[in-house]
Amino acid sequence: MDVVKLILDIIFYPPIYQLLLIGLVGSLVVVIFILWFERKATARVQRRLGPYHVAPRVAGFPQLVADLVRYAFQEVIIPRTVDAGIFILAPIVATILSILPIAVVPLTSNPGYWPVPMDYSVLVALAISTVSPIFLILAGWASNNKFSIIGGVREAFVITAYELIAILSILAASATVLSFNFVDVVEAQSRIWFIILNPLAFLAAFLAVLMATSGFPFEIPESENEVVAGPFTEYSGLLYGLNMGAAYMKRFALSILMALAFLGGWAPYTPGEGILSGYLIPSIIVIAKATVLMMAFSFTRSVYGRFRLDQALDGAWRLVFPMAILGFGLALLEAYLGVV
Amino acid sequence: MTARPVVKRLVKRKGLFAGFKGNVDAITLGLKYLVDPKRFTLIYPNEYIKLDPGYRGFIVLHKEKCINCSSCARICPAAAMRMIKRQEQDPKTGKVKMKLWPVINYQRCIFCGYCVDVCPTEALYTVPYHDIVYENMAEMDWGLETFTRPPEHPVEKEGGIPVKYIVDEERGLVKVKAEGEEGD
Repeated sequence: MDVVKLILDIIFYPPIYQLLLIGLVGSLVVVIFILWFERKATARVQRRLGPYHVAPRVAGFPQLVADLVRYAFQEVIIPRTVDAGIFILAPIVATILSILPIAVVPLTSNPGYWPVPMDYSVLVALAISTVSPIFLILAGWASNNKFSIIGGVREAFVITAYELIAILSILAASATVLSFNFVDVVEAQSRIWFIILNPLAFLAAFLAVLMATSGFPFEIPESENEVVAGPFTEYSGLLYGLNMGAAYMKRFALSILMALAFLGGWAPYTPGEGILSGYLIPSIIVIAKATVLMMAFSFTRSVYGRFRLDQALDGAWRLVFPMAILGFGLALLEAYLGVV
Repeated sequence: MTARPVVKRLVKRKGLFAGFKGNVDAITLGLKYLVDPKRFTLIYPNEYIKLDPGYRGFIVLHKEKCINCSSCARICPAAAMRMIKRQEQDPKTGKVKMKLWPVINYQRCIFCGYCVDVCPTEALYTVPYHDIVYENMAEMDWGLETFTRPPEHPVEKEGGIPVKYIVDEERGLVKVKAEGEEGD
């Protein structure tokens, strides 16, 4: 039994569990499900069938696995004109950085299973989540191709629009409880979630995450019929798959942040002692909430067309940014009145 | 007449939340379709459209009705139909005669159906399917023996389900199973 306990201790050592098991394996499984859901939901809305022939009995569920195998065995072409070192490194670093916020958030209230001290975890997680877009711009620049440079510049424009909104609206949750500690934020939602208390901030955060991860109304940097694949035009094979996966992994990480900040984290459940009750069940609840959020993000693909860059920026600055400010004001008001 | 310049007025920007209702409507409609999808995709090798008898598919010859008049070969706009000479024994008199028989080359045929229309004795008829694939070009040039038998329909033979599309007032195009036409 000691060996089992040792293995369990290693697996559930918080940095390993959150970064490897949830960050890499979990997000891959969630992304496989979400991409299937996205294609299937879009097909249902557009009166099509969606993925089917890979496995008709489970409605084409392993389609992405088949795609991944194809990507994995494709030749990685590195053109002669690119800056090869940055060209190879940028998607890898972007992918790692996009799942890194998972490693600094609490998935339980049990202090024994926190990966880092939680006093300023909201700030740290938000700060880490803002690093990865730089590498997308870098990938576009290193590709030495006009489409990729235009895509990178578009990405830069979109960052300026969404970053402030995302940070302000998620910080609204921490303003309500007057603490930068994610555990305090989650435990304050044991009675009523912040999505009900502060819908403005939630909506602003929703739109900001959509913009951050090229969700459909804001799929501007990679818009296929304007710039071929944006910053990823020159990529092929596994590196292209990494680039595409990085957006979804970032969406997963930001969804976990939103699930903690607005959907009550592990709220209906009270974490207890031990691995099962103290760590596994609360983290699965958080991931389930994040997955529901990701399904909502994916559903927008089937309804909306793509905004132009100027429309997106106009909407972000004139509509969503004031909404985020209002949400922050609402959070301060609630903190003043002592709602939670 | 020269085009006159027309002053177009830009649509005035409405209030801040004017687009809100449109967004809500779009999402509601999307959710409605997500719950109740009105899809009509034909899953082709497993299903196929059962076409009506008048459809201009592959052309087949009734050899008994043919009077060897060559009208079909003459009217064929793609020169797919041609006449070949074949020695035939007359069933009444027992004499061996040289006769002209039509054969068809499906490399050239455009499925216009003129030969069927022009045939004075209705010796040519069409089958209501055309989804047949050949492995090489030579197989598409039919001889007289092939021409007198209707070709087998691979999708139907491999267990495809015949379906039909009908227009429903509420749901638009609807795919239904075609049944009750096995006899003809």
